[in-house]
Amino acid sequence: MKIFKALGSGCHRSLKVWKGILIFWFISLSLVSLVAFPMKGIMKTGFGQSAITGKLLNGIDVEVLSDLGAVYKSLTHSFSAGLLLLLLLWLLINAFLTGGLFNSLKSNDEKFSAGEFFRASARYFLPFMVITLIISAILILLALILIVIPMGGVASPDNPNESVPWLILIISVSLYILISQVFVLVADYARAWQVKNEKPACFRALGFGFSRSFRRFLSSFPMMLIIWLVQTMFVLLVLKVIGNWKPASGFGVFGLFLLSQVLLYIRFLLKAWRYGSVTSLKELNDPLPSSEATVNI
Amino acid sequence: MRKLFFILAFLLSVSGGVNSQVINKVPLSPRITGYTIDAKLDPATKCVTGKMEAFWVNQTTETVPDIQLHLYMNAFRSNKSTFYKEFGGSPGKDSAAIGWVEIKSFTGKNGIDLLPYMKFIHPDDKNLSDSTVVKVTLPVAAKPGDTVTVKINFVTKLPSQIRRNGYRDDFFFVAQWFPKFGVYEPAGMRQRNIGGWNCHQFHAHSEFYADHSVYDVKITVPKEYVIGTGGMLLNESDADGKTKVQTWRAEDIVDFAWTAWPGYAVFTDQWKQVKITLLIPKTRLEQVERQFTAVKNALEYLDKNVGPYPWPHLTFVDPPAFASGAGGMEYTTLFTSESFYKVPGTIHLPEMVTVHEFGHAYFMGILASNEFEEPWMDEGINSFWEERIMDHYWGENSGMIDLPFLKVSDKSLSRLTYARSGSRQVITNNEYSWNYPHNTYDMMSYEKTATWLYTMMGIIGEDATNEVFREYYKRWAFKHPSGKDFVNVVNDVVKRIYGDKFGPDMNWFFDQTLYGTGVCDYKVESFRSSLQGSKIKNDSTVKSLMVTDSSKMAIVRLDRLGDIMLPVDVLVHFKDGEEIHESWDGKSRFKDYTYYGEKQIQWVKIDPDYKIRMDVDFINNSLTIDPDRVPLRRFSDKLISFMQFLTSIVTL
Ligand SMILES: [Zn+2]
Repeated sequence: MKIFKALGSGCHRSLKVWKGILIFWFISLSLVSLVAFPMKGIMKTGFGQSAITGKLLNGIDVEVLSDLGAVYKSLTHSFSAGLLLLLLLWLLINAFLTGGLFNSLKSNDEKFSAGEFFRASARYFLPFMVITLIISAILILLALILIVIPMGGVASPDNPNESVPWLILIISVSLYILISQVFVLVADYARAWQVKNEKPACFRALGFGFSRSFRRFLSSFPMMLIIWLVQTMFVLLVLKVIGNWKPASGFGVFGLFLLSQVLLYIRFLLKAWRYGSVTSLKELNDPLPSSEATVNI
Repeated sequence: MRKLFFILAFLLSVSGGVNSQVINKVPLSPRITGYTIDAKLDPATKCVTGKMEAFWVNQTTETVPDIQLHLYMNAFRSNKSTFYKEFGGSPGKDSAAIGWVEIKSFTGKNGIDLLPYMKFIHPDDKNLSDSTVVKVTLPVAAKPGDTVTVKINFVTKLPSQIRRNGYRDDFFFVAQWFPKFGVYEPAGMRQRNIGGWNCHQFHAHSEFYADHSVYDVKITVPKEYVIGTGGMLLNESDADGKTKVQTWRAEDIVDFAWTAWPGYAVFTDQWKQVKITLLIPKTRLEQVERQFTAVKNALEYLDKNVGPYPWPHLTFVDPPAFASGAGGMEYTTLFTSESFYKVPGTIHLPEMVTVHEFGHAYFMGILASNEFEEPWMDEGINSFWEERIMDHYWGENSGMIDLPFLKVSDKSLSRLTYARSGSRQVITNNEYSWNYPHNTYDMMSYEKTATWLYTMMGIIGEDATNEVFREYYKRWAFKHPSGKDFVNVVNDVVKRIYGDKFGPDMNWFFDQTLYGTGVCDYKVESFRSSLQGSKIKNDSTVKSLMVTDSSKMAIVRLDRLGDIMLPVDVLVHFKDGEEIHESWDGKSRFKDYTYYGEKQIQWVKIDPDYKIRMDVDFINNSLTIDPDRVPLRRFSDKLISFMQFLTSIVTL
């Protein structure tokens, strides 16, 4: 029952910090636009006053794109370079902003304050960055061990049984999803602990994250799976909606932009739901005298 | 089934073998060559031991002093062969990896030993280490009408899989495996001045050339092996409990190849009179239906638009992944496709390979051009038809890929490969296959040819194009057409349909596309409307409208940037909805159109239907005062949300 209590509380907490999520969304949009707008400019220059863009109304046309010639090359270069830069920047910014978010998600009666949000972001930036880097490194290593190495072993075309690599891939990816959730849980517990203990202490936080994840495994892990499932279904839904919608008018494109940003906001909300649920579960399981543990659930 | 085999075998035995008809009542081709081979595969040594009796009939009016035969498998003997010199690398020293064919005995009429008369020749490159062509001076020259019969005992060691040939473990694809006659071309044939053998060495980039033949092939393999060939199975018997013997018959095909592997599952299907057999790994049965659909679509399309598929049988092979090197090759009534386990239905790669390789039954199999000397005639023409079939059956915009966010037609891939190639002008399309420099063989033979054939279709129309190919089939089926013969067919058909509309002939087209190295690029340089006098320039760096003088006329300025001159349609659209259709012969370096009166031009398009697919830049073909930016905005919006989601998903 604790799981559902925590999920409910997480939902409540995430809605309460909707302004903080707005900050997340706004910074994400601004940052990505920095990369996307130059690309739009390159495309506009490449097509000039040509009427051929009408041919793109039904979707990407490889022939038209390839006719951009050198412009197409600079487009792909700026995409790959931009994406890499974006990922690195977002790693930093995400570590910064989650500090404020976790801080706002812990149980308290105060109203959301942007000032406190950024103060907490600054306060916890370093420990959050270390936690992010260590857990990300573990996740990458895990992918290497669970997916890349086994696939490299069996994916050889010399394998006469063609279904085996597929089977291994499905098992590997499933295992990765399951095990990676444990480490995500560790990161979330660690961060929830950190914002409760105001002094930056990332390794103690991680220690707490690991011990709490394993000691309370039976309640925490299924909760993470439920959240993962909801988030994955949401992302698939977004892919379907955004991927298939091809508005042909300026008004329609504006609608597409609005919808995609609303969906992105919901995506951040769902992430905050996870943070909030883990925070709530942590507080539920915290040893009693800690009287605040029962507040807000 | 067994009963039918028995009847067929009986017919064969009483009617005298290669000289009689078993499959088709009437021979489809002149009986110039024929082969009876008794072949035994030893999976342990990777060797095929063969006893062959073959004939060549001198159907020319010339006396021929010798015969020439291909020993293709010797290309894989060492790194000194012409194949390896061109291909680079080496087969290595491992005797298991190399391939060769050795003639153990060679006798002619009355048992005369021909080995002393035999010598290796190197007609293409004087490479003395190459042993892929052998010449036998006949003790008595073959006079017109004479039949030269030879008996050859040979051993073919299969190489570790290379060039769609050879073995991988217990998988065997046995191609180019027996001594095979070249083609004797008399003076006049394929525009030859002097008659002679056309028997080229095995090159890195080349395929084959042979007369249509009859084949009676007996194949002995271990019992557990499943065999596929380009023939019809006449008989199967148990040899000694451990091996089986199958007797196969093929007529009017230019090559006989076969495969043997214990892992095949066999499926059959029927299209009209054609019994289709598919050999596919037992572990990949989910691809069976797709493969049959693809081959039946190709049969239907080519049968309708080119000519009938004349054999009652067809076998195709989808090789296992570990032997995928055998995939994508054609032997007329046998071909290999290439699918993969669980390849999604939205990626039409297996269908494309099947359609392409089947298409070679026409362009090479029936219309047996010389693949060594004019590779565009098989690969290029066949790619053109493959692309038409793929886009016809799998979607005009999705013949190759049909994902919700990405659709790719098959024809677009060949155009962009040609148009974006940095070497598109280094050589003409009319070269021997091993003469293409800078890795241009594929691009020129496949993609450029397909692109200019599409362009030809854009000019003369789809119906006339189909009529060209019907006539080509009618005139040249089961013969050896040359490029010039094809051009002559086009000239005749176009003249018949259009009179002098395109000039006295279409040579102007082929001189530029097939025999030339120029590129085609038309551009709307600018246009100017009357009254307001606004001029718009097709230069992406000039974004604002430049105001110039105003007078009561509108002007359209077109440029020809490339060397190729083709007739193009020009469509001028005015703000009031009026459209004027112009036909420009495309010859001059520029063309201006002037319209008097109060004319406001909205846009101008050269080749508005994109029929001239040789044009290497479609973007500069049009110019408008209000370009549609919606697709670009939509694209960048989607890109933004994609990147936002991605960054959010990959971070904790
Ligand atoms: Zn081909």
